[in-house]
Amino acid sequence: MRILLEHFSKSFGAVKVIEDMTLEIKDGEMLALLGPSGCGKSTTLFAICGIHRVTSGRILFGDRDVTNVPSQERNVGVVFQSYALYPHMTVADNIAFPLRIRKMPEAEVKRQVEEIAGLVHIEGLLGRRPAELSGGQQQRVALARALVRRPNVLLLDEPLANLDAKLRLEMRSEIRRIQLETGITAILVTHDQVEAMSMCDRIAIMNAGEIIQIATPQEMYRNPRTAFVAGFLGNPPIAFIEAEARDGSLAVKNADIRLPVPKNATVPPDGTPVIIGIRPESLGTEGDATIRGRVSFIETQGRENLYDITLENGSVLRSIQRVRDDIALDDVVEWKVRSDDIFLFAENGERL
Amino acid sequence: MNASRDIAESARTPIGVRAAQSRLHLGWLSSSKGLGILFLLPAVVLVVLFFLMPVALTGVFAFTNMTTATGITGGAYQVSPGTLRVLTDRYGMGELAERLGQPTYVVDEQGLAALEEKGIDKNIIDSLRDGLLGKTYASRRELERDIRGLPDRPNTRTVKSISEEFSRSLANARFSSRESLIAAAEAIDPDLTDEEKEALAASTYTGWTWTTENFRRLASSPTTRQVLFNTLFFVAMTLVIFNTGYAMVLAIATHYIPDRPAGIFRIIWFLPRISPVVIYVLLWKWLAWDTGFLSAFLSNFGVRPRNWMLDTATNAWFFVIVINGFVGASMGMVIFASAIKAIPESLFHAASVDGAYRWQQIRHIILPQLKWPILFVTCYQTLSLLTSIDQTLLATNGGPGGATEVWSLWIYHTALNNYAGNLQYGMGAAMALVLVVIGIVLSLIYLRLFNYNALVAKPRIEL
Ligand SMILES: Nc1ncnc2c1ncn2[C@@H]1O[C@H](COP(=O)(O)OP(=O)(O)OP(=O)(O)O)[C@@H](O)[C@H]1O
Ligand SMILES: [Mg+2]
Repeated sequence: MRILLEHFSKSFGAVKVIEDMTLEIKDGEMLALLGPSGCGKSTTLFAICGIHRVTSGRILFGDRDVTNVPSQERNVGVVFQSYALYPHMTVADNIAFPLRIRKMPEAEVKRQVEEIAGLVHIEGLLGRRPAELSGGQQQRVALARALVRRPNVLLLDEPLANLDAKLRLEMRSEIRRIQLETGITAILVTHDQVEAMSMCDRIAIMNAGEIIQIATPQEMYRNPRTAFVAGFLGNPPIAFIEAEARDGSLAVKNADIRLPVPKNATVPPDGTPVIIGIRPESLGTEGDATIRGRVSFIETQGRENLYDITLENGSVLRSIQRVRDDIALDDVVEWKVRSDDIFLFAENGERL
Repeated sequence: MNASRDIAESARTPIGVRAAQSRLHLGWLSSSKGLGILFLLPAVVLVVLFFLMPVALTGVFAFTNMTTATGITGGAYQVSPGTLRVLTDRYGMGELAERLGQPTYVVDEQGLAALEEKGIDKNIIDSLRDGLLGKTYASRRELERDIRGLPDRPNTRTVKSISEEFSRSLANARFSSRESLIAAAEAIDPDLTDEEKEALAASTYTGWTWTTENFRRLASSPTTRQVLFNTLFFVAMTLVIFNTGYAMVLAIATHYIPDRPAGIFRIIWFLPRISPVVIYVLLWKWLAWDTGFLSAFLSNFGVRPRNWMLDTATNAWFFVIVINGFVGASMGMVIFASAIKAIPESLFHAASVDGAYRWQQIRHIILPQLKWPILFVTCYQTLSLLTSIDQTLLATNGGPGGATEVWSLWIYHTALNNYAGNLQYGMGAAMALVLVVIGIVLSLIYLRLFNYNALVAKPRIEL
């Protein structure tokens, strides 16, 4: 079901957390709400499921305006960050709870619980209590409880934050598999860009209560709208250096480095201060511009090495390259960068 | 216990030996187990002194017939018309009673010695010894006639004072020991059987004795049944309506309203608990008196002023339960409220989106997780209500006409405050013992009902 937030605002007393947000989640898509801690992701989620009343604006499920509908009647499935399983009930009772509250006949409840347990692979755990489950198993139970009512929308609030690295990897693909199998509309709240990029159809990136950009992961990575977005996506992250437009090219501040203006950017007037963003994979052996600097740090990552190079003005760029033996710490190198792969931002962070 | 003995012993040993042992003692002290016992010692002493001793003494007193009359130390042997009646009725020794009760005069050495003491003429004493020694008279007149018949012919006043010394009647005599009682009785009747001696001693003894009579009386008295019913009614109503029921309502209500009003609300319900009992109950009495608020207010509507609290048994019960309930509700409220607070907020959020409205959240989320606090409050309050006395004592004092007399109050009235003035300690102790047994039995039933073992086996509220 399509979900639409229209001019949604939320304040707690005098604190404005979300201001005038408009966001559409298409039917059957999985959308990531990505942003740093405290930017208002959970607040948005709680507004959609009706735990918080909105301060202003509208929320639509399909064509139905649910702004003033209590959470009990919105039919949303939520997986909370802490899972919020009922500790005094067995797994089966936990999953059945939303159905029994709706007074569904017991035989039907049993059938649906078994079906959903099969979907999330917890058939063997139905008789246990939450305290007798591992983190990953609790996660699956929470997912089953959220899905069993066939919700209009599935909301996941940092569902993987409490899992260890290996389980996180496993559950990432599990959640995506289940979402695709059920074709349910889903919103995933996360502050982990890898999670957002690997699991979701589109990403809505948030900062300080505002949505900065909504795009597919690919599009967003290739074409970040602001320096904030560029900085949030990618690991190891993009590096920024200050520069100034001069004679149709970019002069790095306090350094004898000149870079051409990338084709996708408009040429700024002379004397405009700009910020250049260079991703680690763009700096290396190929390209049309040269950057000179001293290797100040080498981090081995197995297949590849991550090199920090310090320019003469003190700025640090990162380069990720296949492991090479000819580079040692403190070597002075001249590496190439493809000018079309660099990003140009105005001083306020807007893409040029 | 061991520690003090060791130290006491070491104090008695010579110095050289003590030095050698001191390392050993230090080692003993530095072991955490030994230190623990040492630190616990004062607590153990206090527990024994102030907790176990009274309980044990209650158990002991319960099997005595102690009253104000018997005292709590040993008694004397007092022959009185009453004891002689006991001898007749209970032991069927009417004949013996009659013999002992009748005035009897015996001329014996003891009497002669007393005469000497009195300064009676030596010649008269000698002639008494020669003429009458060993004779027994059923009346004073016969004895005096014989005295007047003596060669010395004492004057009438002397005769009277002589005959007086030979009076050997047991009636109204008091003996400090069993031996002197038996000796006096044998002086009258030398042929007493052991059985008769036993019966005499038992029926004249004024001190307390061991007996199970208290329990027999309790079991057969119709008052027992009435007071027991009153007690169960009082405990059940106060417990269900106020101490758990109303406390739960308050706790849940304050959970769903904002923090500040909730805090104020809770403090209001704490007032009865923290105000002095006398003042708290007095306020209720002022409310209910025939010149009090209720009567004054209702007189506007033509209702006859009356003491609403003691007017009828129903009214008395209403006030007793409400007065006790308002005091007890605060504890349950605080315990339930903090237990509800311990339930993670996200569980309520989850329940909301799962479709559960408030009532269903209470039913499915809150109550199942409050099993343990409910057990605790029920158990604790049952015991405290069973033994509670002050509010009821001050409010109705068991009235009207014993309608609100509960067990603990009955104990008080029997053992410590009694119109007749004869306080029956032994009976009171027996009643207290019954109360203790009732408390223990109820606790065990609760633990079984709430499946205590399953409760303590695992923590029930996990995050
Ligand atoms: N009940 C509340 N009262 C007041 N302020 C709140 C309340 N809930 C959230 N906030 C504030 O709103 C802002 C956004 O909170 P929110 O929980 O939505 O952040 P988030 O993006 O989910 O962060 P995180 O990743 O840490 O969970 C925060 O600054 C927070 O302090
Ligand atoms: Mg959050």
